[in-house]
Amino acid sequence: MIASLKWGMVGVVVAACVGYLVYSASGGSSEYYVTVSELRAHRPSGDVRVAGVVQTDVQRSEGGLHVRFTENDGTAVVLVDYRGTLPDIFRPGITVVAEGRLGADGVFHARNVLAKCPSRFSTAPYTQ
Amino acid sequence: MPATFSPNARRGSRPRLIHSEPVILAFLGAGALLAGLVMAGFSALLSFWAGWREDGVMVQVGRRAFYASAVMIFLASVVLETALLTHDFSLAYVTEHTDLSTPTALVAAAFYGGQEGSLLYWALLLGVLGSASLVASATLGRRLAAYAAGVMASILSFFLVVLVLVASPFDILAITPPDGLGLNPVLRDGGMLIHPPVVLAGFASFAIPFSFAAAALLAGRSDAAWIAHTRRFALMAWGLQSAGLVLGMWWAYHVLGWGGYWGWDPVENVALMPWLATTAYLHSSQVQERRGRLQAWNFGLVMVAFLLVVFGTFIVRSGVVPSVHTFAVSAIGPWFFAFLLLCAVFSAGLLTLRAGGLASVGEPAPVVSREGALVLQNLLLMGVIAIVLWGTILPLVSGMLGQERVVGVDYYQRAAGPLFLVILTVMAAGPLLPWRHAGAPFLRAMRWPLAAALVVLAGLLSGGVRSVPALVAMPLVTAVGATCIFEYGRPLAKVWRARRTRAGRITGAGWARASNLFVKNRRRYGAYLAHLGLVVLVAGVAASHFWQQEKDVALQPGQSVFIAGYTLTYVGAEERQLADHSELVAAMRLGGRTLEPARATYAGLGGQSLTHVAITSSPVADVYVVLAGIGTDGSASFRIFINPLVSWIWTGGAILILGVLAGNLGERRPAVQLAAASLRRTVPAA
Repeated sequence: MIASLKWGMVGVVVAACVGYLVYSASGGSSEYYVTVSELRAHRPSGDVRVAGVVQTDVQRSEGGLHVRFTENDGTAVVLVDYRGTLPDIFRPGITVVAEGRLGADGVFHARNVLAKCPSRFSTAPYTQ
Repeated sequence: MPATFSPNARRGSRPRLIHSEPVILAFLGAGALLAGLVMAGFSALLSFWAGWREDGVMVQVGRRAFYASAVMIFLASVVLETALLTHDFSLAYVTEHTDLSTPTALVAAAFYGGQEGSLLYWALLLGVLGSASLVASATLGRRLAAYAAGVMASILSFFLVVLVLVASPFDILAITPPDGLGLNPVLRDGGMLIHPPVVLAGFASFAIPFSFAAAALLAGRSDAAWIAHTRRFALMAWGLQSAGLVLGMWWAYHVLGWGGYWGWDPVENVALMPWLATTAYLHSSQVQERRGRLQAWNFGLVMVAFLLVVFGTFIVRSGVVPSVHTFAVSAIGPWFFAFLLLCAVFSAGLLTLRAGGLASVGEPAPVVSREGALVLQNLLLMGVIAIVLWGTILPLVSGMLGQERVVGVDYYQRAAGPLFLVILTVMAAGPLLPWRHAGAPFLRAMRWPLAAALVVLAGLLSGGVRSVPALVAMPLVTAVGATCIFEYGRPLAKVWRARRTRAGRITGAGWARASNLFVKNRRRYGAYLAHLGLVVLVAGVAASHFWQQEKDVALQPGQSVFIAGYTLTYVGAEERQLADHSELVAAMRLGGRTLEPARATYAGLGGQSLTHVAITSSPVADVYVVLAGIGTDGSASFRIFINPLVSWIWTGGAILILGVLAGNLGERRPAVQLAAASLRRTVPAA
């Protein structure tokens, strides 16, 4: 009986720790996932991820390490400013997820740009 | 389907005679799948009925229907592979995943490279491995064996229904194109040949322990016979899942060019969770085999592991969670969701109904004992699963409640990191703990890992390391390694002592005894080898996590950059033309070696470009160079990473797999006898 009780306590302690870890870790680092229109409408102050399609106005400088481009979600656009290496498949027309925050200048300053990675499960169906 | 096929639109260059052939291939494939479905459905119904009636002949028939279904799936697979290798672009699947310029090996790999094909591959594995597990199942008793066949045939039927109705790899295009769409360049890599099939095989093979567990519960059998019977399949599933994860990391590291190997993406998470659950099960099942305890827990774990496999497939194939991988939002999502619900309800219902009969014998394990350590490890692994699961489904849950939220890498590191450290502690102490309860010998044994940990701690402190996680993780990693080596040292120490007493007569006999001991207890020593592999892997992960360095530079030819003790000099760039793409190569000199990071451009695929990372690897660190671009002024910009101990990850993975193999090759005693014997030993009164 005592051993069962001990195990009960061990279980409760582990569960409590997990609960605390999830709570404390997700509080600080969860980000909102928004569309460009939502970004424009709500102007969130913290870090967010914005998904949109890269437009044709990509400007690169500093040997390709500094990039500016426009993201469009169909209804709204935002200018994204990013310093760093871009994913291989980055080019106008693909969907990217920019991680960062909207500056007071109305430009989205990205810390990270993720491309939607084309997957082995998603070749476009053959249409002709 | 066939009705839309138009022979007039076919390519003129082909002889007319061959025109009807693809149609025959497609019909043959689709027909085989349909026959397989009928057989599997028949097998499921008959097996349940015969098991309930304990009708030996019908049980046999049910099993054979399962074999027949496996044969049909095999036939369909051969047909699909033939269509791929003969470039039969009348099949939509062939057109969408290959083209004439795709290398043959990758054309063959397209069999499991696409949605439909991967489902067929899964069904094939389930059919073949399931048949293998059923062959010797009669010793488990008619009812259990029949129910196991029934459950397995039901799972197989599900896959075949999807393959026949929603995602057939044998759909025919209305017009046969002259060439296919080809494979994405990112996937044109050797990793493509090996990573997906291994991951899928790890997933598919876990259906076998699940089926036997469910069958044991259905038959009201709570003994460990089902565990012993499926032990090898569970281990195989675990080994394949481990290999799949490591290969996935290797691929990401070498091909994607972001300097890392694990990004806590939902796709990675859903592959990690079943691995964690399977790991937990492999450990807790020992407690039942040895001590006759934890029956209900083991049933629960197997079911959780299987549900996580199905959940993972659902997430990956349905696109419900935002991921850097985009997956076709396909019609099979709802089917897998329904299947997931069905499996969950079935498992939960079965456990609830039978829980009464699963009361354990005797007192629970004392907290400080081998079984105690195993239970604690299980609880901690469940904790990690809960954390990863929450992070994975948060976008879904928060999206339903309001604004969609996601967690980043930070969340996983901060939430799961501490638990991983506690698991390492348990891993260091657990193998040294005796069954039942611990005493003085345990404390004596603990001095080795403790001493090793303290030495590393002192070394790190004197080396100027002040990061607390690193100061905790690295000594713990060392302690786990020391424990494994200590376990190997024990029999060797015995031999050494024996030599000392009979001075001068050391001989082959002593060493033979020691090696005999290793061979006889290979299950145990194989497990320690797997532990050792894991800890080498974890050392690599920890070191590259704590001490990775990164630098972005733009260099003119002749200029150098200095990072973490390495000096890299940019030599110059050149353009190279290869068979299916062109490469812009920027050469860098590092000591006597030349690194050639490049950007490849595939003209045939809309000018898609791809980074070719240059990596030089040593046991100490990898120098990882990515070419970001070349400016108009002749300067080239690079991102350079110094990744410490990354090669340990791949080495550790290999050792781990070696441990799984070494622990299981040539084990002669039939597993069932072993279980029966252990049960007799441990539960005399039952």
